[in-house]
Amino acid sequence: MTSILVIDDEPDLLRVLARTLKTDGHEVATELNGPDGLLAFESHRPAIVITDIKMPGMSGIDVLRRIKERAPDAEVIIITGHGDMDTAVEALHFGASDFVTKPFRSETLAIAIRRAEEKIDIKRRLREYTLDLEGKVAAATAELRRRSNFLSNLIRSSNDGIVATDENLTVVIFNPEAERILGYRQEDVVQRRRLSELLPPEMVEFFHTAMQDACTGRECPWTETIITSLGGDRIPVRLSGSILVEKDRKSGTVVFFQDLRQIRRLQRELVHSERLAAVGQTVAGLAHGIKNILHGLKGGSYLVDVGIAKKDDQRLRKGWEMIKRAIERTSNLVMDLLSYSKEREPQYEQCAPNEVAGEVCDLMRERAQQGGIDLRREFDPAIGRVVMDPQTIHTTLLNLVSNAVDACLFDDGPPKPYRVVVRTACEPDRIIRFEVIDNGAGMSDEVQARLFASFFSTKGQGGTGLGLLVTRKLVQEHSGTIAVQSALGEGTTVVMRLPYREDVTPRGGNGPAQISESDRS
Amino acid sequence: MGKKILVVDDDADVRLFNTTVVEESGHTPIEAANGEEALHLIQAEAPDLVLLDVLMPRQSGIRLYRRLKTEPALKHIRVLVLSGINKKSFLKSQQALAEFGGGDVPEPEFYLEKPVEADLLAATIKKAIG
Repeated sequence: MTSILVIDDEPDLLRVLARTLKTDGHEVATELNGPDGLLAFESHRPAIVITDIKMPGMSGIDVLRRIKERAPDAEVIIITGHGDMDTAVEALHFGASDFVTKPFRSETLAIAIRRAEEKIDIKRRLREYTLDLEGKVAAATAELRRRSNFLSNLIRSSNDGIVATDENLTVVIFNPEAERILGYRQEDVVQRRRLSELLPPEMVEFFHTAMQDACTGRECPWTETIITSLGGDRIPVRLSGSILVEKDRKSGTVVFFQDLRQIRRLQRELVHSERLAAVGQTVAGLAHGIKNILHGLKGGSYLVDVGIAKKDDQRLRKGWEMIKRAIERTSNLVMDLLSYSKEREPQYEQCAPNEVAGEVCDLMRERAQQGGIDLRREFDPAIGRVVMDPQTIHTTLLNLVSNAVDACLFDDGPPKPYRVVVRTACEPDRIIRFEVIDNGAGMSDEVQARLFASFFSTKGQGGTGLGLLVTRKLVQEHSGTIAVQSALGEGTTVVMRLPYREDVTPRGGNGPAQISESDRS
Repeated sequence: MGKKILVVDDDADVRLFNTTVVEESGHTPIEAANGEEALHLIQAEAPDLVLLDVLMPRQSGIRLYRRLKTEPALKHIRVLVLSGINKKSFLKSQQALAEFGGGDVPEPEFYLEKPVEADLLAATIKKAIG
């Protein structure tokens, strides 16, 4: 339903028109002259105005012009006399949407009205679309701003130093961490300095080439290098960079770098505090070991006392041996503790891992035999002489085999033929694998979880809870790995992988305390 | 008159210490190095007192103690627990086994924690034998 205002000075025609339009379902108002018509337009704002062109006083053209002045979107249909084509053209010129010529049939007017309605509809949709579009633009702008803020916050608060440049390698972004590391202030660098003034020459060379050469890769992988700060400090950093590409055009570069002084300090602190915590935990574990040793000392001195009192040489001697054994155990305990609490760089030298493993088996043979345990060697004959720390192999393997034998001795389960297998094998990437497999007591998940975590022992007299920790520490210092697999009642398999080298030159360490052979003996 | 006392410990030095104390107290020691051996000797020799270590291979003292306190034929044998672990941990282990379906056992009447002086050990043995 459309609201229509009809203006015509012929009352009969006006009546007929109004009736026809109402029949078609429109809301109709009528006026007999131009000025009244304009007033009615102002008050009702009909969507369509139909006006006769020849009217006394104000002509239809004037009505059209006034309406178009006030409401350019209003649809105005002109009724012209027969043969008055010039006026019709003039009316179209002033913005009339259509014209019908008298005498006309109601269908002709209906078509003109429908066309006007369509135009109104199109205009409405266009307006809605425009509004919608504006809304979308506003939303997109807000999102863009949000992302841009987010990105600049990200850059600002990053723990990495971030420097970005334009295609001429002039700095455009310089974040606070970059300020902190390099000592420049952002405002002194952005748009004022070039990348070549900040980075070491080889990095500058990379970016320079990468910007110009289409074939060069766009990424510079993480590398460790030294950069020089404003104050002239040489700062070790981990640095990576890439070429920024926008629509197939190289538009700039971005460089990320991390201050290794801080990372290295944190790493050192972490290792230190872990060791302190571990030593603290050890005290509890140690107390148990020390109690056993003390018991031995008390027993020994008691026997010596009895031996002296009764002039019994045998007791005297046995008591003295007990005391000596207690002293030996004390010294072992202290050595274990020392080798755990101190850093020791592996001493790389030519050695044959199979020979070292063989020595360990020899040492354990008697204890295994006494316990009725079959101690088997399965050494890979392909392993020849390599460069490793034989002391690491010896200590770790002895600990593991001793644990395996204990696991058989301490088994509470139904008796079975016990065996411990010591196996060596060559792996790719210069790694020797050592396996110690037993079918002894095995460990519950709970025990396995605490295996390396705390200094606890499931053993009786001998257990200080240090063996596996010392083992793991030695393995780590040798850049190796150790893994334990165990099932309660079925046994345990420990796999230790130690890398070997071909040269004897040690890698550059930062000079930690070392235990030399003379310290240990 | 001397009594027969079984000394159970996996550590030979501890056994030597304990047997000497037993001998010096005027009793006759017999020795076992693990729980299994101990059970055989208890059944074969019917000792008057068992000096029992806790952490041992081949059946721990915790299990052997249960066995002694639950088996009617062995219930009368007196036990002195002599261990590196304290009484609280010992009772906790017993409780864990009880919850596991083993049922409750009475607390040990005599409990000494290593290290122990010879005098105290001798005095406790005397008290335990009664």
